[in-house]
Amino acid sequence: MLREEYRTHTSYSGKSRFLSFPAFVFVLSLMSGLTIDSMLETITLEQLAVFSHLSAFMYGLSVGAFGLMGREYLERRYGRSNYLVAMPYLLPLSFRTTFLGIYLRDAVFYVLLMLAPAALGLVAAAPIMGFSLVSIALFFVAVLVAFLVGMSLSFLASVVYIRSTRVFVVFTAAIAAVFVLQGAFSIPGLEILVPSLGFHTNVRPLGSDAVLALAYLGASAAAVVLMTALAYALVEIRISISSQTYSNLLPEYHARTRWLAGLNRTLMAKELVDLRRSGIIAKMFFSFVLPLLFLSFTVWFVNYGLAIPVGFNAVFYAAMVGFIGVMMYNWLNNIDLAEYYSLLPVTVPQLVRVRILVFLFLTLGISTFFVVAIALLNGETELLWLALLVMFVTSLYMVVVTAYLTGLKTNSFLFDTSVLAKFSVMSFLPDVCLTILSFSLLANWTIAVSGIALVLASLAITTTILYRGIEQKWARTSF
Amino acid sequence: MNVLEAKEIVKDFNGMKALDRVSISVEKGDFFGFFGPNGAGKTTLIRILTGQLEPTAGTVSVLGVDAIKEPLRVKDHIGIVPEVESPPTYLTGYEYLYFVGKVRNLDKLEDRVEKWLSFFDLEEKKGTICKDMSKGMRQKLMLASAFIHEPELLFLDEPFINLDPIYQRTLRDYLEEYVSNGGTVFMASHILEISERLCNKLAIVNLGKVVAQGKIDELVKDGDNLERLFLRSVGVLPGRGER
Repeated sequence: MLREEYRTHTSYSGKSRFLSFPAFVFVLSLMSGLTIDSMLETITLEQLAVFSHLSAFMYGLSVGAFGLMGREYLERRYGRSNYLVAMPYLLPLSFRTTFLGIYLRDAVFYVLLMLAPAALGLVAAAPIMGFSLVSIALFFVAVLVAFLVGMSLSFLASVVYIRSTRVFVVFTAAIAAVFVLQGAFSIPGLEILVPSLGFHTNVRPLGSDAVLALAYLGASAAAVVLMTALAYALVEIRISISSQTYSNLLPEYHARTRWLAGLNRTLMAKELVDLRRSGIIAKMFFSFVLPLLFLSFTVWFVNYGLAIPVGFNAVFYAAMVGFIGVMMYNWLNNIDLAEYYSLLPVTVPQLVRVRILVFLFLTLGISTFFVVAIALLNGETELLWLALLVMFVTSLYMVVVTAYLTGLKTNSFLFDTSVLAKFSVMSFLPDVCLTILSFSLLANWTIAVSGIALVLASLAITTTILYRGIEQKWARTSF
Repeated sequence: MNVLEAKEIVKDFNGMKALDRVSISVEKGDFFGFFGPNGAGKTTLIRILTGQLEPTAGTVSVLGVDAIKEPLRVKDHIGIVPEVESPPTYLTGYEYLYFVGKVRNLDKLEDRVEKWLSFFDLEEKKGTICKDMSKGMRQKLMLASAFIHEPELLFLDEPFINLDPIYQRTLRDYLEEYVSNGGTVFMASHILEISERLCNKLAIVNLGKVVAQGKIDELVKDGDNLERLFLRSVGVLPGRGER
């Protein structure tokens, strides 16, 4: 399975490009290690630990969501790719065993891809910065555990989702409620929610209570084992072919999309039918709303939990919404294989442009609601016009950048280091500019608004250039 | 008049030569059979001829259009049935044909869709989404989607695969009638018995090179058959006059 995963990734971008991804993480970690003294001037080591653990936890959450693919994963056997996970169809293996295999494969694969090179980067910085190798090893164990807790929680949640949407809603609402309680009243302690943090803060260099550290480590391991075992027991795959019949929606959807013309209208109608039938809308909603909730929680936590008075406002949120929403475009590219398009007079750029439209259709409503809600909750209605403008421009910019750089294979190309580097620069720079300018709104309104206008104008021009460039970049590509 | 002219086609996949200076010409009204062992390069050539894949070198003209420079114009006028049946997962049979018809901007679309669903006996399954269909049903749908716009030229990659004997016969009859009405077929197949009955010209490819090409009645003669010609051409049986 590991070899299969490796070959899947290298088949998209080539071995050297794929392998340069962990090298990129290594260099990034090395640079962070070498500049840690500067970082510690504005943030404490404890805060850095909290950030690392929450990041590893979120990384685990995203990796563990493979259970959500469920049947779709198995059905890929009908496409060009035959994954080993489909072997129970042919061999005396249970689906549970193969799904546990996927869990272990992803744990190993994504640790090797990201966490291990990050730890090695710190090891490389150790001789210069005087880091203790024992401390780095303890840090690695701690973030590894945070990653596994996130991954097993996500695996369990996705398995629950496949069995019962209602139980899933209750399950996630309960988890969200616990996090909200933590943010609002610091109950329970963050160490309880992410016990790896409890382990880390009790070992060097953050603490020295070995007994408490072991207790937290044991609790983390127990949580991982328990959630994985539960998910393993609950995994359910129905092999039987559905006999359900459907009403023919496409002509109706085609009639409803008369605001578009020609081929775009037909492609749009087909995308909408796919969205409805595949059931992916709920998953997309979840993957969009969860980061928004996480963002809100983080801001809340920084403002009230850590008591750091940072000037987060509706404009800041608007910029973040634009950047977070881009993952929805990735979902759109994963609904179905697109090979049959190569039999028709359709090009990759034509489909990419329609998917950008679908993306806007899906996200702008939720994003607008979120930004308006934040502005109302914060009593910042005077900022609403600016926040909405920022949200519209950044959303459009980010989806066009992603579409330009990755075409219809977003998931794969973001593991190509050269693409990832471009994506990072193109998303990080405007994000930082808008964040800083949004913080300056109260201090100097005129300068901040002028700066935001300049950034938005640059983004709009870049968006136009890249949107036109999609044709040339992807016209000769196969589906 | 040649409706298909491929000259000196080379396709190199990371140093592996899948096709090595392949030249093929097909005249209007031909039923052209394209044969070769597994991995010989048949599907690669079909993908190049139909504008789905760019060759490393060579030229391709389909119905007078440069398939490398203008693949969309070529796809407008041809029908393609791929080796692997892969209709869209979440569309019903009816919807897929409707979708193809809208993409191709066809008139009387509902009539055409009903006609082809009826031809392949898919009417009762027109509300079933493709992922819930059997392989045979999906193959019928791919055939219907290639025929729906009544193209001048058909590229068929293993069209008989997954079809039951009844529909193998139905398809055979349809293709014979299609060619007799002026259509042209370029077909890759491993089913040599059916191919021998249908094709008037053929090419055999082995290890990326054309090893035999011409009219079938000139290549297969003196009590020989297509199977023996094929086996001789790819080196499994000794050549004529050899022992």
